[in-house]
Amino acid sequence: MCRSHAAVRGLLREIVEAAGDVSVADMEAGLEHLSRGTPRHTDLVLSVVEPYYRSLETGARVVELARELGVARVHVVANKVRDEADREAVDRFCRARGVDLYAVVPHDAAVLESDRDGAALLDGAPGAPAVKALADLASRLLG
Amino acid sequence: MKIAVAGKGGSGKTTLAATLARLFARQGRDVVAVDGDSNPNLALALGVPRAQAESIPPVPRDVLVDRTGEDGKKMSVLSMPASDVIARYGITAPDGVRVVVMGRVGHAGSG
Repeated sequence: MCRSHAAVRGLLREIVEAAGDVSVADMEAGLEHLSRGTPRHTDLVLSVVEPYYRSLETGARVVELARELGVARVHVVANKVRDEADREAVDRFCRARGVDLYAVVPHDAAVLESDRDGAALLDGAPGAPAVKALADLASRLLG
Repeated sequence: MKIAVAGKGGSGKTTLAATLARLFARQGRDVVAVDGDSNPNLALALGVPRAQAESIPPVPRDVLVDRTGEDGKKMSVLSMPASDVIARYGITAPDGVRVVVMGRVGHAGSG
């Protein structure tokens, strides 16, 4: 089924407003779903980045746009971080751009393996380091 | 708390969104996960079996109807309560997360 970005935004807004306690929306890869109406149905934007330049650039643009729109909380989450050099590169970029690096999720072969096997990460590798990092993130976000 | 997860394709945003949704549910929260990506695979990442995940119908577009507001502006409103949309089109994923799929976005003019 095909529909316009405007229609998806409308649906998203209505559904999220009716959702009970917590809603988590997996958004379009680009910025199409961020619009002037976004803050009315979004308390928090998580901008997921990988430790390479173009991903960081996109992530920083998401942060800037979400801020301009007036979203109350905007955080960067660095994913697939392999080592200290990766972490420092992300950290440096975020400082230079004035964005908040909120959480770091390590590169984790278990994530790729779960993906490959079509299993949810929590089912395929409940003890994986990435899961530990996400559990920490989850409790900080709602804590 | 209404959270939107954004990122480039391949950044792992879907895995991250799905895992957070289930972790929130395990904390006792009532969680709705919304797949707003034009290549929907959030249900699979949540642990819904593939056959079931692929058979989830996107929310049909006729649940949104055009109305003209008092200011003369056109707006889209739901033809049924949103909670009914979630109940009717959503499915329940592991840990009790309800997942709703928005569906693909067409090119300009086709949507």
